[in-house]
Amino acid sequence: MAKYSLSINGKKFSIEAEPDTPLLWVIRDYVGLKGTKFGCGMALCGACTVHLDGEPIRSCSTPVSTLKAANRITTIEGISANTDHAIQKAWIEAQVPQCGYCQSGQIMSAVALLKSNPNPNDEDIDAAMSGNICRCGTYPRIRKAIHRAADLIKESGNTTGK
Amino acid sequence: MKNIDSFNHVRGESRYLDDIPLIQGTLFGVALGASVAHGIIKKLDLSEALALEGIVRIFTDKDITGENQIGGIVPDEPLLADHHVHFSGMPIAFVVAETEEIAREALKKIKVEIEALPVITDPREAQAKGELIVPPRTFRIGDTDAAWQDCAYVFEGKADTNGQEHLYIETQGAYAVPLENGVIKVYSSTQGPTAVQRAVCKVLGVPMHQIEVDVTRLGGGFGGKEDQANTWAALCALATHVLKKPVKYSLHRMEDMAMTGKRHPYSTDFKIGLSRELKILAYEATFFQNAGAAADLSPAVLERTLFHSVNTYFIPNVRVTGNSCRTNLPPNTAFRGFGGPQGMFVIEAAIVKAAESIGVEAAQIQRINLNKTGDEFHYGQIAQSESQACWEKALEIYGFDQMKEAVGAFNKANLLHKKGLALMPVCFGISFTNTMMNHARSLVHVYSDGSVNVSTGAVEMGQGVNTKILQVAAQVFSLNADKIRINSTNTFRIANTSPSAASATADLNGKATLIACTEILKRLKKVASDELKIDAKEIELKNELVLAGGAETGLDWKRLVALAFMKRVALSEHGHYATPEIHFDKTKEKGHPFAYHVYGTAITEVTIDCLRGTYEVDAVKVVHDFGTSMNPVIDKGQIEGGIVQGIGWMTLEELIYDKEGKLKSNALSTYKVPDIYAVPKKIEIDFLQTEQDNLAIFRSKAVGEPPLMYGIGAYFALRNAVKAFNPAAELPFDAPMTAEKVLLGLYAGKY
Repeated sequence: MAKYSLSINGKKFSIEAEPDTPLLWVIRDYVGLKGTKFGCGMALCGACTVHLDGEPIRSCSTPVSTLKAANRITTIEGISANTDHAIQKAWIEAQVPQCGYCQSGQIMSAVALLKSNPNPNDEDIDAAMSGNICRCGTYPRIRKAIHRAADLIKESGNTTGK
Repeated sequence: MKNIDSFNHVRGESRYLDDIPLIQGTLFGVALGASVAHGIIKKLDLSEALALEGIVRIFTDKDITGENQIGGIVPDEPLLADHHVHFSGMPIAFVVAETEEIAREALKKIKVEIEALPVITDPREAQAKGELIVPPRTFRIGDTDAAWQDCAYVFEGKADTNGQEHLYIETQGAYAVPLENGVIKVYSSTQGPTAVQRAVCKVLGVPMHQIEVDVTRLGGGFGGKEDQANTWAALCALATHVLKKPVKYSLHRMEDMAMTGKRHPYSTDFKIGLSRELKILAYEATFFQNAGAAADLSPAVLERTLFHSVNTYFIPNVRVTGNSCRTNLPPNTAFRGFGGPQGMFVIEAAIVKAAESIGVEAAQIQRINLNKTGDEFHYGQIAQSESQACWEKALEIYGFDQMKEAVGAFNKANLLHKKGLALMPVCFGISFTNTMMNHARSLVHVYSDGSVNVSTGAVEMGQGVNTKILQVAAQVFSLNADKIRINSTNTFRIANTSPSAASATADLNGKATLIACTEILKRLKKVASDELKIDAKEIELKNELVLAGGAETGLDWKRLVALAFMKRVALSEHGHYATPEIHFDKTKEKGHPFAYHVYGTAITEVTIDCLRGTYEVDAVKVVHDFGTSMNPVIDKGQIEGGIVQGIGWMTLEELIYDKEGKLKSNALSTYKVPDIYAVPKKIEIDFLQTEQDNLAIFRSKAVGEPPLMYGIGAYFALRNAVKAFNPAAELPFDAPMTAEKVLLGLYAGKY
């Protein structure tokens, strides 16, 4: 067991865990944020995607010991206070989710994509989203919603997406 | 109306099994699966595992307080192996510990010695050795033996389809919590809460009123949690029953893949006979279903294969026989389409074989054999058909002739890329084929403040059924959606449920809700009538107002409900619905098993890379018989998702067991499911709007399973593209058409 200081969604947490504990379990079991999901435990499905300093990572395969107190970790619960991130709005508008289980991960990947590329074409979207599996097959709507979110951001002029 | 879950889904707030807050003292279970597919357990040494600190107990078959049996249709499936191991991954022991880590550590310390027995993985071998789950069944119409002599063409062949891993992203799991007086509440990720309740009761040896099963939603089911959620629920409940502590088990992905059954692989012999004019006069098929080591739902799946073995074609002479073959694979189970897709693939293969041999296009044969209203299916039901309407509309609105020309021109101009086109018509029967399962109940409460709560037997797993049920209540009461809540699915509120399956969940539970709401509405109108002294026939509820003869009365929904409460009128109702008109006589294999059929036609276009064998699906263009969709956005989502999943089954997803019955495609690194790259570049869906009277809820036809079978078109489009490059290639009908098989086909016979 060792002590770790983490910043998750802007809040500081001090936790005690084994060094190899995946960030996913820290987020879910120690911090109690259940929006980030376990899918495969091997970084192959994307259900556990969170942001590390704005970059999408697979929390199921990120040992807590590799993180520093200065790292900013963002989960689905941290991307907006009022469900007003452009991605969330577009997701609802396009009615993307079916069972919903993979969608936290999908949304985290999509938010990161738009931050680095505010105007992605289909190829950019496919490249950014190909690590996120959706067994319900909502991909056509994911593509559509990302385009729509890009437009929403342009319309609002707020590049943070909120 | 938007899906009522979408707001929570995009906030990460929707609750799944693994998100339920744990009660203090919760223990964690993990199952030990057999490492060989067939054998006798010679030694099971738990001592080292039990010595670990934090281990609470290790359960084996000897600890079962009731019956060691979870088989649903046939009692042939022990919960925990008793001497005999029948498939690799079969649970042998259930370790319960203070933490999951300790439980998993203990798994490694259990010593099992199994004396290996011969392993069967091939259904034809099983059949030859007499290893059948149930006796074979044959459906027939006309006389095929007599019909062959009238045929100008007769062709025989073999067609195989592989299985499919469900890969719901939420793995299987259960959480059992002890309540007082021996009652256990089981949270389960199941499509069949009653199936879980029954299995738990049998294993524990307790009556059903002692087991409460509760389901909020599933992170995907697709059939994989229809019967196979029982195991984990029974293991947790057994431990809770004995230890009087909460016990939870959420499976890891590789455990889930190794221990659960999949879509059934099939191997089939077919024989098709046609007239000079290309009318199919006779069709025979013998199906060898790979059932795995226990019956599970295999006999029912096989039955649907027989029902859908002629897809949407009218054939006057048919004889189809199904063998459910016992092998040493994990018991295969329901998967979207439930045997229907496997049946349809074979008739499509037979048509393609005939077309290629005669030298015509498959579409020509498909088109002139589409059924029409009044035609008799080989199981006796008379078709109310939209088959030709879907087909002709698809050809017309998508400009099929131009598509064909464009593909021809592309193939002429390009050497290294070839395109292929295929048409896939679909006809899918709606109802459980087991007539007795076609019923459902709904419990509707109107509270004294005017808010409404609805419980049904439907399980929400992404198909949007809760939204549709809410729409039913909202429409009957003419209420805003925010006044209505849909409860979790719970066996203490709704008893004796059928699983959420067979595409029929919204129909059955929606109709039960309609009945319950209509009854309450009738009472409310009576209250209004008495209060206003106006004939109840004049009373109408609209937008939360009470109208009489179309005019406002000063009463609104809230006041009317309060008034009814004061007058001691019952504001709750338990509605029961049983599908009328359906019946089936298994001794004759004839009847009217389906409430109705859903039809559609898909056009699929693909492009293959002739150097690499890789491919893209350019487009899938569909005309689908929705009836009158009550929620077009949800229904279109089901079609899109069904197409993606069907294409996955037919192209990328390659389930591999080795000769020893071990799953080799045992993780997402070795089993490829469609990602965003695999999706058709374009999906177009057109509504065939029909007003036909049918038994669907608000005439909005069931939509869960039928679109999966559009994916079969991708297989045949790929085949056509390969043929465009290598016309002489002899391609076996062997799905999936992986890139590897495309490449082999491209150069078959060339080197």
